[in-house]
Amino acid sequence: MARRAPAVAVGVGTLALPPLLSGSHLTVYILLGLAVMVTVGLSLLMGYAGQVSLGQASFYAIGGYTAGLLSVHSLPPVLGLLAAPLVSAAFAVVVGIPLLRLRGHHLAFATLAMQLILLSLVARADWAGGAIGLQGIPRLSVGGYEFADDISYAYLVWAAVVLTLLVARNIVASRPGRGLRALASGETAAAASGVPVGRYRLAVFALSAAFAGLAGGIYAFYLGYLAPGSFPVLLSIEYVVMAVVGGLGTLWGALVGATAIILLVQVLNTLGTQPGMPGYAPSVLSYAVYAVLLVLVVIFLPHGIVPAVRARLTRRASSGAV
Amino acid sequence: MREFLQYLITGVGSGCVFALVGSGLVVVHRVTRVVNFAQGSFAVIAAMTASTLLASGLPHGLAEASAVAVGAGAGLLVGLVAIGRPGTPPGASLIITLGLAVFAYAVEVLIWGDQPRSFAGVPGAVEFGGVRFQAHYLLIIGATAVVFAGTAALFARTDIGRALSACASNPYAARVVGIDIVRMGLLSFGIGGALGGLAGVLVTPIQLVTFDYDVTLIVGGFAAAVFGGLMRPLHTLVGGLLLGVAQSFVAGYGNAAYQMEVALVLLLAVMMRQAARAPAAEQEPA
Amino acid sequence: MIDVVDLTVRYGVAVALHAVNLTVAEGEMVALIGPNGAGKSTLVNTLSGIQRPAGGTVSISGRLAHVPEGRQVFPDLTVDDNLRLGGWRIRNRDTGPIYEILPGLTPLRRRRAGRLSGGEQQMVAVGRALMARPEVLAVDELSLGLAPLVVADLVRHLRELNADHGLAVLLIEQNARLALDLCSRGYVLEAGRVVAAGTAAELAASPRVADAYLGVAG
Repeated sequence: MARRAPAVAVGVGTLALPPLLSGSHLTVYILLGLAVMVTVGLSLLMGYAGQVSLGQASFYAIGGYTAGLLSVHSLPPVLGLLAAPLVSAAFAVVVGIPLLRLRGHHLAFATLAMQLILLSLVARADWAGGAIGLQGIPRLSVGGYEFADDISYAYLVWAAVVLTLLVARNIVASRPGRGLRALASGETAAAASGVPVGRYRLAVFALSAAFAGLAGGIYAFYLGYLAPGSFPVLLSIEYVVMAVVGGLGTLWGALVGATAIILLVQVLNTLGTQPGMPGYAPSVLSYAVYAVLLVLVVIFLPHGIVPAVRARLTRRASSGAV
Repeated sequence: MREFLQYLITGVGSGCVFALVGSGLVVVHRVTRVVNFAQGSFAVIAAMTASTLLASGLPHGLAEASAVAVGAGAGLLVGLVAIGRPGTPPGASLIITLGLAVFAYAVEVLIWGDQPRSFAGVPGAVEFGGVRFQAHYLLIIGATAVVFAGTAALFARTDIGRALSACASNPYAARVVGIDIVRMGLLSFGIGGALGGLAGVLVTPIQLVTFDYDVTLIVGGFAAAVFGGLMRPLHTLVGGLLLGVAQSFVAGYGNAAYQMEVALVLLLAVMMRQAARAPAAEQEPA
Repeated sequence: MIDVVDLTVRYGVAVALHAVNLTVAEGEMVALIGPNGAGKSTLVNTLSGIQRPAGGTVSISGRLAHVPEGRQVFPDLTVDDNLRLGGWRIRNRDTGPIYEILPGLTPLRRRRAGRLSGGEQQMVAVGRALMARPEVLAVDELSLGLAPLVVADLVRHLRELNADHGLAVLLIEQNARLALDLCSRGYVLEAGRVVAAGTAAELAASPRVADAYLGVAG
């Protein structure tokens, strides 16, 4: 029970937060939740399957466009929201079968290529709004209830984050999850102990895509507008930064990493838009913060913030006992 | 026929640029096993530096050479962060160079803003086989030929080159004979920075360069380098030229908007083919 | 030549060498025998500066060159380039004398070292070490994985180098019979400690060595 206490506290705390937040802070809350969802999936992929994806924003985009396109063609929005993770995961399976034969930096570049191809295809697809974007996406409604204001989206995101974390946690704790942990410690060893390595890698890839797709679907309804420019390569890199900084393969790591970075960028953004600051200040500051955090963490805390803090707490607890 | 020649020449020109970026990746990867994601940034930094120096009145030649030197310095700095701490695995170094590529954005936007830059190259036009093209293409092709020949000679005929190859071939044995492998790794990053910088100053007169042009360059350069398994400079040159010519033909006979896709599809195809031939276990770990 | 006093080496928390003492005098051939994992290679790596000691001192007068275990040539480079790199530390580029000492390498000088047989690679590794113009040579597992005839040839070369050029040799071997035949003195290293030391004859006669390393019953 005591082990669960931090999770419950964070859950209750974040649940109580939305009514206290002003408009722009509520937007940060929502975008932060969406980033957590994508990062949880990427953290599993990088932590367990040991593979870097520089194209995670493509799954976010596919989820967004799936939800957006279905609902602008007057299908019930809720159907679009449900389809978003499914289509993203299906796409991940289709591209993952050839791509996941690659490893390391080859896979990193292949996923980057995947995203660049996807973006330019979307930019040329008139049926998806082309480079101008997809306009007029209706607000999400379930049954008779319409998610009209930001607070309702904040709670929707909260629920989606909890769902993502629960699914991820159950998968990690399940029998296949133990196989995944074997995968993390080495493919050859995992294969030798009977883990179907290829299928597991594909499954984690698809799962990470599903999380990103769901987040993208919510994003589409929240913003009501999508364009290829909303999903730059830099966004994929930002997710990598969040996952690495928090600590790969840990759910808390994804949560902490995404939160720390989004809030930090937000603070710097506020700072950068102060009167007197040059026009380029916000982008310079955010590039610098992503870069510096990533590099410092990889060099000095190679396992990420959360595992480092945990190790320190354990050490303190055991030295206290002696 | 005339069109064909035109597209061929422009394709070879841009292919040379990819080959230079790719050879920078190869030099660093051979010696350190690190894939340097910041390789495209060296080109952008050098291009921007050259444009500033030219605008401030420095003569052509001196400005470009100084910019290449700045590229080499940037390469050295990236190397210091990526491999300067002993025991950093190559996979972690990839992530570090990714971070440094983003950091380069901050520096570039801070110094030069986010507007595209260009400067004049070799003036005038040349006629060849009934085709007129910018004389600057001759400089690109000539400089690339000289640099590739020079790099090949460096590796094959000099002690430093042998020592660099030795680090790639057997790092443990390199330490046994007293070669400082970290210093050699840093040297390779410096060379990589210079090669990237050269690509940048050569490409700017024929292509507007923005701070995020590094993505185009790194994708094209990686595609060229993968052609030689990230190890062989000559294959990289061939890969770069094939890529440049293919892009130029697609743009000329087809649709100019599909240039990037040509590079991406070629990259994926080459990697898939290599993965099909080599078992997964032989590839580099993450 | 080599003077090792109370040398301790650690890998993280594991102790690879405990307070090891060892000397090699000028022109002397000394054997270091012991089972796999006893710390023999750690000792040589410390002598050649690849491994840092945690305690004790290592003093070497004159130049030491290291023929590492498993031959460890540069497979993609030619034999001649392999040799040249051996002279890296002292900027010695003249490979000619090596071909005189090891004439077997002459026909191979343009071949890639990775394509050679195990015995030829070992010859390259010895030649590469000689390029450093050493006064003492540390040879790690000279005979491992090589055919007896090939080993005999290499041993002949080491004897010559010792007799004609006064080269001191520290020979690290699992093959104790070979090592004690070739050397005048020896040490036995087990689990990171020197458990026996003496002349080759004394060691060969000691029941402990005879039993464990020479395959002679009691």
